[in-house]
Amino acid sequence: MVALAGCLLLPFVEFRPNRIVSGTFETVFVAGVASWALVALIALALVVALAPGRVRGSLLLVAGAGMGLALLWALGVAAVHLQEGAPAIVRVSVGPGAWLVGLGALIVWFAGTRATASVLVRRIAGVAVLLGVAAIAMWGGLGELSLAREYAVQSRRFWTLVRQHLVLAGTGVGFGVLIGIPLGVAASRNRVVRDAGLGIASVIQTIPSMAMLGLLIAPLAALGLTAIGTTPAVIALTLYALLPIMRNTFVGLAGVDAAVIDAGRGMGMGRLQLLLRVEAPLALPLVIEGVRAAAVLVIGIAAVTAFIGAGGLGILVFQGWGQQADDLTLLGAIPMVVLAVLADVSMRGLRRLVVSPGIEEGTLT
Amino acid sequence: MITLRDVTKRYGEVTAVDGVSFEVPSGEVCVLIGPSGCGKTTTLRMINRLIEPTSGSIEIDGQDVMSVRPEELRRHIGYVIQSVGLFPHLTVAENVATVPKLLGWERRRYEPKVRELLGIVGLPPAEYADKYPRQLSGGQAQRVGVARALVADPPLLLMDEPFGAVDPLTRERLQAEFVRIQRELKKTVIFVTHDVDEAIKLADRIALMRSGNLEQYDTPETLLDHPASKFVHDFMGSDRALKRLGRARVANVMRTVESTTGGARSVVAEACGGSRFVYLTDERGVLEGWVDCKVLDAGTPPEEAGTTVDWHEAAVHPETTLKDALSRMLGFGFRNVAVVDADGRLVGEVSLAAIEGTMADADTHIANLEEGEVLGAIPEESPAERDELT
Ligand SMILES: Nc1ncnc2c1ncn2[C@@H]1O[C@H](COP(=O)(O)OP(=O)(O)OP(=O)(O)O)[C@@H](O)[C@H]1O
Ligand SMILES: [Mg+2]
Repeated sequence: MVALAGCLLLPFVEFRPNRIVSGTFETVFVAGVASWALVALIALALVVALAPGRVRGSLLLVAGAGMGLALLWALGVAAVHLQEGAPAIVRVSVGPGAWLVGLGALIVWFAGTRATASVLVRRIAGVAVLLGVAAIAMWGGLGELSLAREYAVQSRRFWTLVRQHLVLAGTGVGFGVLIGIPLGVAASRNRVVRDAGLGIASVIQTIPSMAMLGLLIAPLAALGLTAIGTTPAVIALTLYALLPIMRNTFVGLAGVDAAVIDAGRGMGMGRLQLLLRVEAPLALPLVIEGVRAAAVLVIGIAAVTAFIGAGGLGILVFQGWGQQADDLTLLGAIPMVVLAVLADVSMRGLRRLVVSPGIEEGTLT
Repeated sequence: MITLRDVTKRYGEVTAVDGVSFEVPSGEVCVLIGPSGCGKTTTLRMINRLIEPTSGSIEIDGQDVMSVRPEELRRHIGYVIQSVGLFPHLTVAENVATVPKLLGWERRRYEPKVRELLGIVGLPPAEYADKYPRQLSGGQAQRVGVARALVADPPLLLMDEPFGAVDPLTRERLQAEFVRIQRELKKTVIFVTHDVDEAIKLADRIALMRSGNLEQYDTPETLLDHPASKFVHDFMGSDRALKRLGRARVANVMRTVESTTGGARSVVAEACGGSRFVYLTDERGVLEGWVDCKVLDAGTPPEEAGTTVDWHEAAVHPETTLKDALSRMLGFGFRNVAVVDADGRLVGEVSLAAIEGTMADADTHIANLEEGEVLGAIPEESPAERDELT
């Protein structure tokens, strides 16, 4: 509903004389046929959402995927159409209407995945969407959008920053795992470690990221290190990654059935054997969940570390703000979202791979 | 042989076990019984050093348990707990293979053993080996627990209320299987329960405990007939005649019977001979039902004169106690019940009259034991009891 209103009433694309100044807005209908397809699919989504039936889930998937693809298509058509014959400096950016439609498409899509029981149907739909996106990206004129133009200009730097961002977040999570898991294990064995460790970690969690970078100056100076650059950034990120990992490790271990531990001991397992063969595999789902939460969190916070010269996609965001070049900001923000989603998906995949089917919900009949 | 000498366990002010001494000869089943909180579990867990005694000594075949590293000790003692405690992330086969792996056995040594044990406890490995614990019923999980304790062939088995968490019918079946397995494997078993009937059914000797003390340690018959104190007498219960039936097995009083694989009227009629009923089996001898010969004679076709039954429910096993057989008869309202082996093959029947016969012997026995006489038999070493009574 919101998507439909957004599509029809709000400006769909913005037509600007150059990359900085604001320009005139156009509605979705500049995109011709593609726009009508989009409207039709939104209508379909509405009808399906209101009329529950057996294939509702699958239809929602189709509608959501269709909306997303039609949106991209319409954007491409609009960009090509508006820039026909205009000088190269002219920009066409994505307008609020298009964003709303995109959001609507996502909502419909996720409603669809939740309502669809069949894994096969979800897989097929996922692959179809990826293929569709790829096709539109290649032939659909998306390259004419302002965002893509920014990318064309920045592409070398863009990938360097993506890599930096990944390294920063990855190192933070890596250290978080290396420190957090042993701390979590220690917390499950020792009350003092538990109370102190979890207490301190949750205090850290409440410190805003900017404040954290400031607070690190003093202790780093004491160690003879500067508060600028990669090292303090990694330290800050590690601190943030620590709590979810440590807490989940602790909770996972504490949740292991006492009878199972008793059985293990009674059969002659030593402390280490008990930990590695019984407790760790049983706590694993929660530990992985903690790492997943930490990764998503740290990918977001790593944007802020651009302030202290650690690099990463945050640089594009801040430059974009500084120059009021919204598309540059988006060029930094969108890949961050993509990275977070990828981290989330890959941790879920890892979980499916390494957790025993004996303790994973819904894997056995 | 297990020897406990003056074993005591204190938790601060609380004395959980207070100077307990007894000896379990090899190959015997000793049942530890007593009211909740009397120290059964504590006593049991001191034997494999899950709990360290405050004082006293425990020896297994002459060796002090304190002289062995706890992990090493436990790997050679089977241990079954009430809550089963299967490892949920491992398959049934992996669960059973736990101790062999700890002992460093090679796969080709323990794998056949694991399958054999699953077979012994009545879980065909082809069907169950790769299941996970949460796919099992309570009774099946309990069997896996027993298989897991037995797989490395420990001479000693500790069982803490192993059949406590299952329904009565399953418990009865598990008990019968325990008797069958024990007859075959001849382990030294210490078995904790608070169910008197279970104790009487399974025990060679019963150790009756009360608030940390050992009240009496003797055969079930002696505890029933010559209780050492009023507490023992009351704990064992008043329905002694019935309880004693819990000691006798169907195998002792069953008789062989006629059976036929069914078919033509003449065949069935001939199988009837002079008797009132004839059992029907399939080609392998598995019980399928019976035919009432009187009805058959009256001209009814064999199919209609017959009763089809499921042997799992309608039959008993040679190891079944007379008490359970009797309750089965009363439940069904029959005067006879078929006896089948573990695979359901008919081996005989037991009649109400036969059970009554053994009861009559017991009754005369009991009649000789006046209540006063029993109480008068309280031995000198329990003055406290005497005070209570006078
Ligand atoms: N760790 C402990 N700390 C303090 N007291 C304990 C501890 N463990 C057991 N006890 C006490 O010791 C006594 C004996 O406990 P135990 O578990 O051996 O009893 P039990 O005979 O097995 O009882 P149940 O039939 O209920 O299992 C109880 O009074 C109990 O409260
Ligand atoms: Mg107990």
